[in-house]
Amino acid sequence: MTLAHYLAVSGLLFCIGLFGALTRRNIIGILMGIELMFNAANLNLAAFNRFLAPAGVAGNVVTLFTMAVAAAEIVVGLALIMAIYRNMNTVYAEDINLLKG
Amino acid sequence: MQGLSIPQGLNLLIPEFGLSVMALALMVLDLFFDAKRGKALMALGFVAAGVALGSLGLAYNAPEAYQGLGALWAVDPMALFFKAIILGTTVFVLMLSIDYKPASELRHPGSFTALVLLSAVGMMLLVSATDLLMIFLSLELVSISSFILVGYERRDLKSSEGAIKYFLFGAFSSAIFVYGISFIYGALGTTHLIDIRPLLGEGPALMFLVGCLFLVVGFGFKVSLVPFHFWVPDAYEGAPIPVTTYLSIAPKAAALGVMARVFNHLIPHTQLDMQTLFAVLAVATMTVGNLTAIFQTNVKRLLAYSSIAQAGYMLIGFVTANQLGREGLLLYAFVYVFMNLGVFTVAMAVGNEDGYELEAFDGLCRRNLGLSLLMASFLLSLAGIPPFAGFIGKFSLFAAAVKDGFWWLAVAAVLNSVVSVYYYMKIAYHMFFRNPRTLEPVRTEILVTGTLAVAALGVVVIGLYPEPFIAMAHLSTEFLPVSVPLP
Repeated sequence: MTLAHYLAVSGLLFCIGLFGALTRRNIIGILMGIELMFNAANLNLAAFNRFLAPAGVAGNVVTLFTMAVAAAEIVVGLALIMAIYRNMNTVYAEDINLLKG
Repeated sequence: MQGLSIPQGLNLLIPEFGLSVMALALMVLDLFFDAKRGKALMALGFVAAGVALGSLGLAYNAPEAYQGLGALWAVDPMALFFKAIILGTTVFVLMLSIDYKPASELRHPGSFTALVLLSAVGMMLLVSATDLLMIFLSLELVSISSFILVGYERRDLKSSEGAIKYFLFGAFSSAIFVYGISFIYGALGTTHLIDIRPLLGEGPALMFLVGCLFLVVGFGFKVSLVPFHFWVPDAYEGAPIPVTTYLSIAPKAAALGVMARVFNHLIPHTQLDMQTLFAVLAVATMTVGNLTAIFQTNVKRLLAYSSIAQAGYMLIGFVTANQLGREGLLLYAFVYVFMNLGVFTVAMAVGNEDGYELEAFDGLCRRNLGLSLLMASFLLSLAGIPPFAGFIGKFSLFAAAVKDGFWWLAVAAVLNSVVSVYYYMKIAYHMFFRNPRTLEPVRTEILVTGTLAVAALGVVVIGLYPEPFIAMAHLSTEFLPVSVPLP
C-alpha cells in the first residue's frame, strides 16, 4: 500500500459523496453524501500524516477534530429534519419549496 | 505538572473565554427561568457582549499588553477591528431580539442568547486564527450555531425550511473545506499558516493550489459570494428577523476578515496568481446580487440579495491585497454595520405587524414619518449616494481598485451601484408615493428606537465627517506577525 492507493480511494470516496449530495432527493441521502465527503478528507489527512510527516501528529489531530465536528453538525441536521418532518410529513427535497427565489 | 503548560498568549483571548462561559451559563439558567422573566436572560447576554466590546477598547489602548501572537492565533489591530464589528453587531441584535416579540411568545430566550453569543465567539476566534485547524473549528462554531438560530421558530414552516437549506449548503461547503485542508497539509506537512511561506519554495505545488481553491469555496459560502449564494435568500427569509440582521452583517465581516488574513497576508493571493479569480468573483457577486434584487417583492429577500451585492463590493478591497484596499474594506465593513442594521431594524418594526411584502411599506410616511425618513437615508447610504456614509466607503474601495490598476473592477462596481439605486428607491417609492392600506401609526419599542438612533447617527456622522474613521481604519490594517518569512 502506497500513498497513491490511499489518495485514490479517498478521491473516489469524495466523488461518490459529491455525486450523492448533488443528486439525492431524500435529505437523509444528501446527508450521507456529505458524510462521505468528510470521511474522504479524514482518510486523506491520516494518509498524509502516515506517509509524509510520520514524526508529527497534526494530520491525525485534524482528523479527530473533524470527526467530532461532523458528528455535531449531523446532530443539528437531523434535528432540523425532524422539525421539517413533523411539520410537513416529508423528507424529500423537492417537497420543501415554500420559499422561492 | 509536566506536559500541561499553559499555551503562550492564551490571555489574549480572554473576551472570547468570558463570552463562552456566559453562553454556557445562560443555557443552564434558561432551565430555571420561565418565559415571563426570560427577557432578563437576553439582557444579561446583552450586557456580557457590551462588556466584551468595552474590553476591546482596552486592547486598543495598550497594544503591548493585549496584542500579540498565540500558538494558533494572532490578536492584532486587524483582528481587533473585526472583533469590534462583530461584538457591536451582537449587542444591537440582542437589543432587537428583546423587543422582537412579547415575552409570552418567546421560546427559550436564554438558549437563543447563548447561541448568538457562541456564534459571536466563533467569529471572534475566526478573525484571529492563524492555523487551518483553528479556522475550521471556529467556522464550524459559527455555522452550527447559525443553523439552529435560523430554524429557531420550530413551528414556523418557513423557519425550518430556511434552516435545512442553510444547513445542507453549509455542511456541503465545510466538507469541501476540510478536503482542501487535507490537500494543503499534504502539500506542506503543516496546518500552521505562519510557517507555510518558506515551504512553498519556487512555485506553489498543484496540490497546494487545489487546496487553496477548496478553502475559497468554504469562505465564499460564508461571505455569500456568487456562485455559493443559493442559501442566502431562503435562510434570510425563513429566519426570525433579528437573526437575519445578524447573519447579514457579522459572519460576512468575519469571513472577509479571515480571508484577508489568509490570502492577503499569510499566503498572499498575488503570489498564487489568484488575483483575477477574486476580481471575477467580486464582479459576479455584485452583478448577480443586484440584478436579482430588482425582481424581489419580499423585503427580506430584497435585502438578502442586496447584502450579497454588498459583499461583492467589499471583496474589491480584498482583491487589491494592499494596505489601501484593506483600509477600504475595513471602512466599508464598519459603515455597512450601521446601514444594514438600520434597514433591517425598520423592516422589523414595519414587518412585525404587516408582514414582509413590499406592500407593507405602502404610505409609511403617513403612518410614521420619522421611520420612513430614516429608512430612506439608510437606503441612500446602501446605494452609495452622498452625503451618507455608504458613499465614503464605496469611494475608498473603488479608489483602491483604480490605484492598483483594476479600473475595470471599479467601472463594474460603479455601474452596479447605479443599478442598485433602482431597487433601493423602489422601497422609497412604496413608502412615499403609495397610499397606505391603513392609517394606524407604526409603533416602535424603546430598544428598537435606540438601535435606529445609533444606526442613523453612524450613517450621517461618518458621511459628513469621515476623517477620524478613515484614520481608524488606516491604523487597523496592521497584521501580526509583521513579516511572514519569505520563500
